Amino acid sequence: MTSAKAYKDAALAARLSDRVYRPAEDSDPSFTAEVEKIGGTAAHLCFQCGTCTGSCPSAPRSSYRIRTFMRRANLGMKDVCLNDPDLWLCTTCYTCSDRCPRDLIPTDVIMAMRNMAAKQGIVPKNFLATVNFIYNTGHGVPNNDANRVARVKLGLEPEPETTCKYPEFLPAIRKILEAYGTKQLADKVLSEGQ
Amino acid sequence: MSHDIHKYAFFLGCIAPNRYPGIEAAAIRTGKKLDIELVPLKGASCCPAPGAFGSIDLNVWYAMAARNLILAEQMNMDIALICNGCYKSIWEVNHKLKHNDELRDSVNEVLKEVDMEYKGTSNVYHLAELYYNDEVCGLNKLRDSVTTPLSGVKVACHYGCHLLKPAKDREFAGGAIGDSEHPMWFEELVDALGAEAVEYRNKMQCCGAGGGVRGYDIAHSLDITNEKLTNMTAAGADAIADTCPFCQLQFDRGQFEIGQKFGVEWHVPVLHYCEMLGLAQGMSPVELGLDLHQTSCKPFLDKLKGGQ
Repeated sequence: MTSAKAYKDAALAARLSDRVYRPAEDSDPSFTAEVEKIGGTAAHLCFQCGTCTGSCPSAPRSSYRIRTFMRRANLGMKDVCLNDPDLWLCTTCYTCSDRCPRDLIPTDVIMAMRNMAAKQGIVPKNFLATVNFIYNTGHGVPNNDANRVARVKLGLEPEPETTCKYPEFLPAIRKILEAYGTKQLADKVLSEGQ
Repeated sequence: MSHDIHKYAFFLGCIAPNRYPGIEAAAIRTGKKLDIELVPLKGASCCPAPGAFGSIDLNVWYAMAARNLILAEQMNMDIALICNGCYKSIWEVNHKLKHNDELRDSVNEVLKEVDMEYKGTSNVYHLAELYYNDEVCGLNKLRDSVTTPLSGVKVACHYGCHLLKPAKDREFAGGAIGDSEHPMWFEELVDALGAEAVEYRNKMQCCGAGGGVRGYDIAHSLDITNEKLTNMTAAGADAIADTCPFCQLQFDRGQFEIGQKFGVEWHVPVLHYCEMLGLAQGMSPVELGLDLHQTSCKPFLDKLKGGQ
């Protein structure tokens, strides 16, 4: 069977294309509560109107459907949510959140699911690369030699007044990233791919 | 009109200082004519990026943003910044920590290990909202600072997402800025420089870069950008104005990437509002680092000369 989402894992592809909902095996009732806690929005109030998907810039160009994720959140379909690659196609533009007639923030439901997925090591590598850039330099987008030359031409110092110029602030940043286990997660997942 | 000097700790973020330093230079220099003084916020880091970083763990996002806020608190200053992504991190985390005791305590517990404590004594502003605010600057003062009006050019305003949305969590003074469906204040800011802001279809749409999507699925991300470029050029835009260096990067480098990936050619100059303000106050394209943009600003600059 070919997979619409091009999964390499045939079992996962079959699992995700199965549209039958079996509460006993599919549902983790604590999932809804956890999503609400991390996301800070009362997802269970969703009445599935679809305003979110209708407002979504990612929807017309992919199979990502924010309304589907809202429904899955309320059915407790944790594994399906956390393993769906579409989870990472939300640009976090928050248009759905401004238009939701139930005053929910669907974007933060996605953020909560991403946080839970990341905790299980399910997270695209570009996200973790940002963590390492920040750990090493304080910046998600670090300075470079060409930019240093350009800055000087503009009358600026080669290093901006950030951790670039004051690396003595880096140890605190590293300590924070380690205290939350973020650096460890990045190292673990990035090394697995090699 | 007030002539008091308004001082802010200047939060730079990443992309402005490290990819488009002209935005930083312009913000500092143009501020002098507007009585807005931007003081270095020493030791600041990435805000950190709300999508790419917040997606991994919101708790560490809160703590990292709090560290930046504390640096401003230690200076007894409010923060001014130039990036919508930074606004989401710095403004929103400040707002959450001010109003959620439990969250503030949990963040402070970790920050104690690095001898820091978040107190909630600073406010956070985007420079664009300060330009619009009559109590700080206002359109008249902005207009008065213009020495070389940007006449004869049409500009498409890209508001971006994270300055305005989610609107229910934002607290802008007055009604003009807070509307996220069809605001007009950015057009007024652009008009104040002598340019003509044009209306275009679906103008509040995202640039496509956010949420880590630019890194995760570049084609998907660029397809959104391509739709915006289509709508902007249909309205006759000679340039795009933005208030967010990440949106700027998506439009500026994105046009080249769209050419490579989709075979669609665009040549629409992309300028941060601070860069446009710099031009209008007489700064040269070289002083603004416009030569660092991947999509050439020349068509826009040529049209300006022709119009003057």
